[in-house]
Amino acid sequence: MARNSHEKRAERQWLLILLPSLVLLLAFVIYPAIYSIYLSFTNEALTGAAALRPRFVGFRNYARLFNDAKFWNSLFVTFVFVIGSAVIGQFVLGLISAIALRRPIRFRRVFSSIILLPNAAPEVVAGFMWISMLAGGDNATLSRIVSFFGVTPADWLQVFALSMIIIVNTWRGIATAMILLTAGLSTIPAEIYEAARMDGATPSQMFRRITLPLMMPTILLYMLISAVSTIAVFGLVYALTRGGPGGATEVVSIYIYNQSFTAFQLGYGAAVAVVALVISLILGIGYVRAMKVEV
Amino acid sequence: MKKTVLGGLCAILLSAVSTLAQAETIRIANHGQAGIDAMKSTVERIEKKYGVTVEVIEYPAPDKDYLTKLLTELGAGNAPDLFSIPTTAAVADMVEAGYLTPITKEFKAWEGYANLYNVAKELAVSPDGETYVMPFMLGIQEIYYRKDVLEKGGISTEQPKTWQELLDRAAEIKQKTGAYGLLFPAGVSWGSGAFDEGFQHLLVGSKTPQLVDADGKLDLNGEGIKDVFNVYKELIDKDLMPTQPLLGPEPWVVPKYQMFPEGKLAATSCGSWCYIFDWGRESKNPIPEVTKVVGTWTVPGQSTGQYVLANLAAPWAVNSKSPNTELAIKALMEIGSIETQVSYAARIGNIPASKDAADNADFQKLTEPVPIHAAAGNGVFLKQASGFGTVSEGVARATEALLRKETDAAGAQKILVDYVKETLGDDMVK
Repeated sequence: MARNSHEKRAERQWLLILLPSLVLLLAFVIYPAIYSIYLSFTNEALTGAAALRPRFVGFRNYARLFNDAKFWNSLFVTFVFVIGSAVIGQFVLGLISAIALRRPIRFRRVFSSIILLPNAAPEVVAGFMWISMLAGGDNATLSRIVSFFGVTPADWLQVFALSMIIIVNTWRGIATAMILLTAGLSTIPAEIYEAARMDGATPSQMFRRITLPLMMPTILLYMLISAVSTIAVFGLVYALTRGGPGGATEVVSIYIYNQSFTAFQLGYGAAVAVVALVISLILGIGYVRAMKVEV
Repeated sequence: MKKTVLGGLCAILLSAVSTLAQAETIRIANHGQAGIDAMKSTVERIEKKYGVTVEVIEYPAPDKDYLTKLLTELGAGNAPDLFSIPTTAAVADMVEAGYLTPITKEFKAWEGYANLYNVAKELAVSPDGETYVMPFMLGIQEIYYRKDVLEKGGISTEQPKTWQELLDRAAEIKQKTGAYGLLFPAGVSWGSGAFDEGFQHLLVGSKTPQLVDADGKLDLNGEGIKDVFNVYKELIDKDLMPTQPLLGPEPWVVPKYQMFPEGKLAATSCGSWCYIFDWGRESKNPIPEVTKVVGTWTVPGQSTGQYVLANLAAPWAVNSKSPNTELAIKALMEIGSIETQVSYAARIGNIPASKDAADNADFQKLTEPVPIHAAAGNGVFLKQASGFGTVSEGVARATEALLRKETDAAGAQKILVDYVKETLGDDMVK
């Protein structure tokens, strides 16, 4: 009996410790999420008659989504952005950096610091910094650099808009990839490589047969984090292109902003946000299943 | 128990004191550094005259971002008591949303009312017949052209009489000087400017010169709309208008502040502010002797007529949820004073809406806007209606498709109609 009461008291104490986090979670995550879902079933707007008298419109916003070419375009742009930036760019370069920096090379700390630096700049700051590199046609810093090598300059943010935001986001995200993948690499026992080397395995064989399979849980976790965070990128794209030109870089987060705060259609913007949330959830569930984690 | 009652009383007292303290403060929002500077003396005057503290909330942001912030705050119920509205196209929608306090009675009783230009009074009246905004400044818009570039190329500087003459002149400029011949603001990044400073110039001189029918309903299927988009298409297809800079995040920077001063763009639609703010003494890249070097044409009609477009330049309004509406309206009337009008004219170049600004000694010193002020009575304008903000965004999207050569004039009109119907519902558009 005494043990039970002790356990109950301990449980109450833990609940008390958890309470502030729970309250914050309820106030800033759960409630806004539920409110967004509610909004997505209304015609709520920031201006016009719907701002004064919003109505419940059932699934109208979701039905509109299916026929909205701009929405599908934003999904496609987001897909290309995630594959280009998170999967190909950040992962490949992050993995190369992680492997290279595990070796005892000269100036290792300097290289690590240089790779880590972009991550220190907030999204918007990074965006504005790259504007001076890319915008302004012939006057852009990048145009001057390529001119020096005899390459014709371009309006980088017009002609190669999506490629440019992929490159900038890759530049910003390499550090996170490198840190996570370095952690994954460090979990592989050195003896395995030693044994493989004694058996005559080449570096390429060791990478394919040892590094990749043993790193798979880390890679999957990284992919999930990276994909979800790339879907949510807003400040960088907004600062660089605002989704333009002509929707070429209008990723889902920018599309949600444009619908909610340029067209002022909060209900419709919320519907797009809910769909984006569902996509992120599907990715998360996919990860859990891939990892065979019991929830 | 006693303690609880005492505590409650103290709380009530504190709350009452804080409410009274709040009543002594008026929060006003302004955007753009020049506008913020122009209001400084007016703020001091309001504080002195009414014994209040004026808290100026500064938004040194582009029009589009400022409007977004303002509407978000109005929607949330925590917007300032008084604010400027960056585009006339937003006013009717804000009225319909219930954000603005009607000021019809106070406005008509105001000492400056009789001296306002009629166009300012008419522009201030909303579709429901009430007035919600102080129309203290006007944006008078025409086409500004580089006299020196045209004269050097042996090109006539005479007023073009029709759209075709205007297009021919632009083509001649390109052919003889290599400079772009004409620019109308266009595309999504330019925001409301694509409508305010571009599209409506031509629409008022088209076969269907209004967007609102007699019942106040939006009519976007008029032939004039397609014809206006055709003008854009010709300018773009023949490379008479710079298109690449318009697709960037700050589309006005290259054509207005670099190409025009350098003579690489020879003509552009603009407002009276261009003589002072864009290329004059307040500019970062001024054109020496701007009024001699830069001339103005009125905008020709499609086949006949000459048009000078008048807009309310960032009119001011009172928040309907202001805790002290009466005081805010009094402050609003101070913003309409001649001194404030002249202060704005000096820093931004907009035109005072009061005829008697002409007698003001400080205004007389501003030689650039004085002749435009005298002609302000001839301004024409589009009848406003709710949904105009959406139309403005739809025009930006339609012109962006033209800039990217993704569509023709009929396709651009369809983009506009579809966007407005999608956003507002089919029943809002004829």
